[in-house]
Amino acid sequence: MHTMPESVQPALRRLARRLALGLFLDIWPAWAVGGLLAAALVALVCRLFVPAASPALPWLWLTPVLALLPAIIIYVRRAYRPAEVVAVADWLNGGQGTLLALLETNDASWSNSALAERASTFTLPRLRPWRRLAALPPALVFMATALWIPQRMPRETNAILAEEIAGNLTATVNELKQQQLITPEEEKTLEEEIERIRKSAEERVDASSWEAADSLRDKLAADVAGKQDAIKWAEETLARYAAAAEGGPGADDAAAAPGAELMKALEQLAKRGMLAGASDDLQRLAAGGKLPADAASLRNLMASLAKHLADANGRMAGVGKLGKAAGRFDPSQFPLESGESGVDGDGNPGRGGINRGRGDAELTWGKESLPLDRFKSHALPPGAARSPDDWAPVVELPGAPRESPAASVASAARQYTAAAGQRAWRRSLAPRHQSAVKKYFDK
Amino acid sequence: MTQADHQLISPERVAAGQEKVGRVVGALRRVILGKEQTIDEVVAALLARGHVLLEGLPGLGKTELVKALSRLLSLDFRRIQFTPDLLPTDITGSHILQERDGRKDFVFHPGPVFTNVLLADEINRASPKTQAALLEAMQEHRVTAFGETRPLPDPFFVLATQNPIELEGTYPLPEAQLDRFMFKVDIAGVERSVLEEILATRVHGEPPPLEPVLSASDLHDLFALVDAVHLPRAVANYVARLVAASHPASAEAPEAVRTFVKHGCSPRAAIAIGAAARGLALLRGKPHVGFDEVRRVAPPAMAHRMVLDYAARLDAWDGRRVVSALLDAIPEIERGLPQTLEAR
Repeated sequence: MHTMPESVQPALRRLARRLALGLFLDIWPAWAVGGLLAAALVALVCRLFVPAASPALPWLWLTPVLALLPAIIIYVRRAYRPAEVVAVADWLNGGQGTLLALLETNDASWSNSALAERASTFTLPRLRPWRRLAALPPALVFMATALWIPQRMPRETNAILAEEIAGNLTATVNELKQQQLITPEEEKTLEEEIERIRKSAEERVDASSWEAADSLRDKLAADVAGKQDAIKWAEETLARYAAAAEGGPGADDAAAAPGAELMKALEQLAKRGMLAGASDDLQRLAAGGKLPADAASLRNLMASLAKHLADANGRMAGVGKLGKAAGRFDPSQFPLESGESGVDGDGNPGRGGINRGRGDAELTWGKESLPLDRFKSHALPPGAARSPDDWAPVVELPGAPRESPAASVASAARQYTAAAGQRAWRRSLAPRHQSAVKKYFDK
Repeated sequence: MTQADHQLISPERVAAGQEKVGRVVGALRRVILGKEQTIDEVVAALLARGHVLLEGLPGLGKTELVKALSRLLSLDFRRIQFTPDLLPTDITGSHILQERDGRKDFVFHPGPVFTNVLLADEINRASPKTQAALLEAMQEHRVTAFGETRPLPDPFFVLATQNPIELEGTYPLPEAQLDRFMFKVDIAGVERSVLEEILATRVHGEPPPLEPVLSASDLHDLFALVDAVHLPRAVANYVARLVAASHPASAEAPEAVRTFVKHGCSPRAAIAIGAAARGLALLRGKPHVGFDEVRRVAPPAMAHRMVLDYAARLDAWDGRRVVSALLDAIPEIERGLPQTLEAR
């Protein structure tokens, strides 16, 4: 182009710059829009499925800048050559061919002619950038929308939940172990049970997982309650034995029955592992020894037993709620399956809601179901006990209630009332029924 | 030879050539009133040494134009009135048995084709066999009779006329014959003002007397000058794309070509456009061809070379209209403006 007449060169340079700008605006917006759309899709996917990528998403705004790279490469490859610029100039000038001829022949004789002068007076083409840039704002809006969407956090995986369930139980067991309220054998059994619950929860987390955990926790509570009963029984029998032994003449005969009961109470304590830290005398006595005959030894023994029982009671008090604060089964965490009604009733038994199970149909009194649906089978919801181990055993009483002929009818009635209350409250229920019972009696 | 080796014709030579051509054009415009465009086309074809087929209704000055041209160029001029009983030998000439010095011998009597300017009046009235007698003469500027080939005088032009409406007893020119005409010039009717001018200046319609304005050597100089007119590559590219797009199978062919054209133009059309554009450029006083010259000469050079389909006749499309659509569809420059730029 530098061989062209000087009168034409400024116009050609201006045209070359305009063509370069037009060509760039032809290429870059397409890449920028494509890049923005792709980035917006990536952002959308990350927002929905990849929370870890969330901090890096704002960098996607640089996509239009990155699009400059391929745009520049393509621009360089497609750039207008001097002959093409001259051809465009000639065409803009009406297709006279003068510029083309001057470029090809480099003939100076026509450089200052009227033809060449006319050829340099073409009008530059008008820039219309929005023809290509029009697609950019929608792409930017799409990108902004994709980034504006809140990050979706996926539900915790089964492993995490299983670990949480098992962790709560393990904490409870550790608490009991720390207070020396469980034996090594019991600890091993509990650990196996916790491991089983954990593995089951890893496979599938549903209501039964929490029910199993609650059941094990109830079982632990029942064990502790049994130990408390055994300690209390031992304290009572010890008190009765002491009263009988210090009764003066004929005390040996009178103390025979309380002594036998005390021995049974000690056996029960030993069986429940509550004599682990006791003195050797108590250990021997529980292992089948006999109560000492002399008063001094007997007094020492009773003092030792009283002290041990007091320590045990103290440890029991430190156990607290046995991990119940870790959370129990909450039915609201498990939404109903599709097609089932979400109405929870008014909380009263027989009036819908959880108290009636999943049957939330209205009471229509004779029009319960259509004939076709009458015998339709319905799958039971999950949460039923899967094995007998999921059920906590009924509290093992330390011994059968014993009637004392000497006791009055009134005192017998008082004793019965106190024992009956304890027994009723300690009775194990299926966890899913506990909330129903609680609601009923709380009202 | 590289492009840099090309040199444009000097402005002085161009001016001199334009002046000579201008004399011919000016004289023709005095004879044929209101036909400036037709005259330019005929002169451009003449400068490109091409044959011209003039088609128009009777009385529009076709024959008068050719006659005036021959008088202006001081070239040998013959006229053949084509009739249905015209024989090929009536054109090319024939051997006649003659007795010389007691010996009888066949002597070749050259026909009217042995001339510089041949007016083939109403060429479509002769039979195809007779029309074919001109094939070799028009393409190769020679005649073969009885196994002997004889060259025709240089220059040699065929300026033929035909009437488009009298189809009874006529023989349409075959495609091979049409292809040999550089231009087919349509002679349109005259405007009212032109008629008025004719009535006012010519009592019996006789044209003004003409004197030769160019000698044979001047004409040969003009031919050399036309050959030296520069054809830029971009313009040649445009011509090539135009001719290529006239074929319906071409990827660049516009819809009109795909619909109405059966066979596109031959390479001879591209050569004719290039040559005629050079002649027109000289006529305009330019040392080079531009896109404008190509657009100007493309219709008369291409319209008669395209074989149209029957659909074209049903939809009243002729060659000129198809070429017009072609010119609208094919951009002059192969690589135009970016989409974000708009020519004002």
